[in-house]
Amino acid sequence: MILKRTSFAIALAVLTLGMAAGLKYAGSLDLIGPEAARRTMQVTVGLILAAYSNLMPKDVGPWRASAAAMARSQSALRVGGWSMTLAGLAYAGLWAFAPLAFADVASTAVVASAMVITLGYGGWTLLACRSSKRQPLDVGGHV
Amino acid sequence: MFKALADPTRRQVLQLLRHGPKSAGELAEHFPVSKPTMSAHFAVLRAAGLIDSDKQGKAIIYRLKMSVLEEALMEFSELLGLNLAQRAGKTSGHANLRKASTK
Repeated sequence: MILKRTSFAIALAVLTLGMAAGLKYAGSLDLIGPEAARRTMQVTVGLILAAYSNLMPKDVGPWRASAAAMARSQSALRVGGWSMTLAGLAYAGLWAFAPLAFADVASTAVVASAMVITLGYGGWTLLACRSSKRQPLDVGGHV
Repeated sequence: MFKALADPTRRQVLQLLRHGPKSAGELAEHFPVSKPTMSAHFAVLRAAGLIDSDKQGKAIIYRLKMSVLEEALMEFSELLGLNLAQRAGKTSGHANLRKASTK
């Protein structure tokens, strides 16, 4: 699992670097302008952020003994996953269609807001988890 | 994955698991179907990688394991009442359910 993820991350990094080099080369040949190259790169960065964040809620981690702890960690992962995925898509959309000066500021603001939401909610759930009493899972019945 | 999301019962199971992990018994209480049928639904969801299970004592606990895209797809099919995947995979879906319930 770790090897698969690392390989995927390395492949993605190679793709990103290759793309940057390709865009620079295309720019040196006057095939594309500097604005188009910048936009293409930033759209790719946004889509990579969205793709990674999309998988965030799936990474549920090991089973815990407390039902409340599991519910809270699941909730934190879902909030983080949704906010970062939407931020990644908004980042890509802004760099694709908005005027350059606006995209520069707005895309940063969008991702920063998503990070604040993710970390804030994660921190809040962690504190709530620590302050609450341990509640075992209700194993009332089985199928 | 589409077949797993096509069934309303399975979608409802996923909705219930959004609030946190639940035992198979707790989940089964919400549906007027037999336990083997529920087990088959759980097996389909587990096979699609949408839920995760753990045996704790005599009970099996399930928890949600959905990506943002999978959850969005579920929401769309729930909101729009799309049953296209269900229609497309009706025969194979029922066959899978029967196969899962006999395991």
